[in-house]
Amino acid sequence: MKKITAIIYKAIEYHFTPYLVFILIISILLFPIVWMFITALKPLSETFIYPPTIIPEKLTFSAFEEVLFKSPIPQNILNSLIITITNVIITTFFAFFVACGISKYRYKGSKNVLFLFLFSRIIPPLALLIPYYILLTSLKLINTLNGLIVINFYICFPLAVWILKSFIDDFPQDLIDAARIDGCSRIGIIFRIMIPLLATSIAATAIIVFLWTWNEFIFAAMFTHTREVQPLTVGIYYFVGDEYVDWPRLSATAIIATIPGIIFLIMAQKYIIKGLIAGAIKK
Amino acid sequence: MKLSESRFGFLLSFPGLLVIILLSFFPTIMLFITSFLRYDNINPITFCAFENYEKMLNDPLFLPSLEKTLVFTFGTTSLTFCVGLILALCLSRITKYSGVFRILMLLPWAVPLVISGFIWKWIFDPVYGVINYLLIKIGLLANPINIFSDPNLAMIGVIVADSWVRIPFMCVILLAGFESIPQDLYEAAKVDGANAFQTFRYISLPLAMPAMATGLMITSMFSFRTIDVICSMTKGGPARATYVIGYFLQDQLYRTLNFGYLSALGIIMLFLQLAIISIFIYYLFKR
Repeated sequence: MKKITAIIYKAIEYHFTPYLVFILIISILLFPIVWMFITALKPLSETFIYPPTIIPEKLTFSAFEEVLFKSPIPQNILNSLIITITNVIITTFFAFFVACGISKYRYKGSKNVLFLFLFSRIIPPLALLIPYYILLTSLKLINTLNGLIVINFYICFPLAVWILKSFIDDFPQDLIDAARIDGCSRIGIIFRIMIPLLATSIAATAIIVFLWTWNEFIFAAMFTHTREVQPLTVGIYYFVGDEYVDWPRLSATAIIATIPGIIFLIMAQKYIIKGLIAGAIKK
Repeated sequence: MKLSESRFGFLLSFPGLLVIILLSFFPTIMLFITSFLRYDNINPITFCAFENYEKMLNDPLFLPSLEKTLVFTFGTTSLTFCVGLILALCLSRITKYSGVFRILMLLPWAVPLVISGFIWKWIFDPVYGVINYLLIKIGLLANPINIFSDPNLAMIGVIVADSWVRIPFMCVILLAGFESIPQDLYEAAKVDGANAFQTFRYISLPLAMPAMATGLMITSMFSFRTIDVICSMTKGGPARATYVIGYFLQDQLYRTLNFGYLSALGIIMLFLQLAIISIFIYYLFKR
């Protein structure tokens, strides 16, 4: 018995073991994404045969073509982009100044303000479905892009403040003091020193907010009723029919919806990880 | 005009503060108020004290949905934690090509949750699904299973689809925890002849505890509040097996338009969330 456990420990400690285990798990985790690609490259008829073909018999890009040229999906993509980009700009802008104030120019009650933001992050947005429904109806914002921008701003704002605050905490105070002695105004310090030097951190925050907004589904599904204003996450339901689901075209749309995230991950993996950790761990 | 440092700070955060009060605290107060109103869009709005809450306790959908919520949250969090932990432990020992491995590990995080529900629905498809086919081919299954007709299996299905997206985040947080542990501790343990399990039990585990608690807290918080996967995968079914409280809330909005009653549900959701969070906050601050 002791011999067996000794062998097990030796195996765990062997330097190649982590690679093996990791590759095994990751291939299971990546399989759904691969399967989505395979399905998108099949013609519709091939998804309804048994056994399923692992390699498409008829390789075709027609699903992508039809999604992009013969369906309302481009409109949904455009809506998603409008909502997301507007929200990223507003959220990052407001959050940066709040975080700046809390972190570098402490005032009476700044701790409480920070707590307020933490608390509003804890409130589940879904619990506020009814108040938001009443508010947006009375403001005539139901079924509009503006309404969705407001909701997404509310969802992302506390998180963005939290992430930026821990980034700005790490910003050296000496730089601010030195600029101050050289006669730079406070506003000047923010725009000429802090923003350029914190550019990567701000970009990381913006990317995380982008992906959060891009992926938001439930409020969009509840508060939009016409195709003209629905974002991509709701628009994908176009391929879900009563009789069957058009899996190749749905998969093609799913791939399109995943592309921004994948591009950002490959481009800025290090900064996204930093941002996620900054948002999670309180300093 | 000369502003003091602290005044300037307040001025900087004032617009944001105003916005968050307007968008977050005002609706929360509204939620409290409407939960005490008879507000069903049929009769005129009147005050009704705890009538909505009483009705909720008598609702045959309410208590089961609470149970489903806890099963879903607990299931997702534990599955995410187990897989995330193994991946993080592997990654912390991987030195070659670690950048590539990290990107591969993060990929599911980029998939929107609704879409994760669709992908897994397709993979688990009872007739044309690839999982059934593979399991039968390996010999683990004799006949294809239909997870969308079995209540327990359906719950497992949504838990898998939900954790799939959350594993990368958990892994990132745990990895940060492991990497903050000084390397010489491991070397000292090696010199003392500790085996892999002992090193993990007496060094990695206690020192990465705060990171683990944080990861668990955030994962449980988000799996409690998001129902995207359930929307695209099971729609609360079969036989309300995946009818969690959040799904209850959004499902009933257009069916009943009973705002008072649904606000009371929202309040319950809010307090449940606070309860789950405070367990972790208590643990993190106790240290």
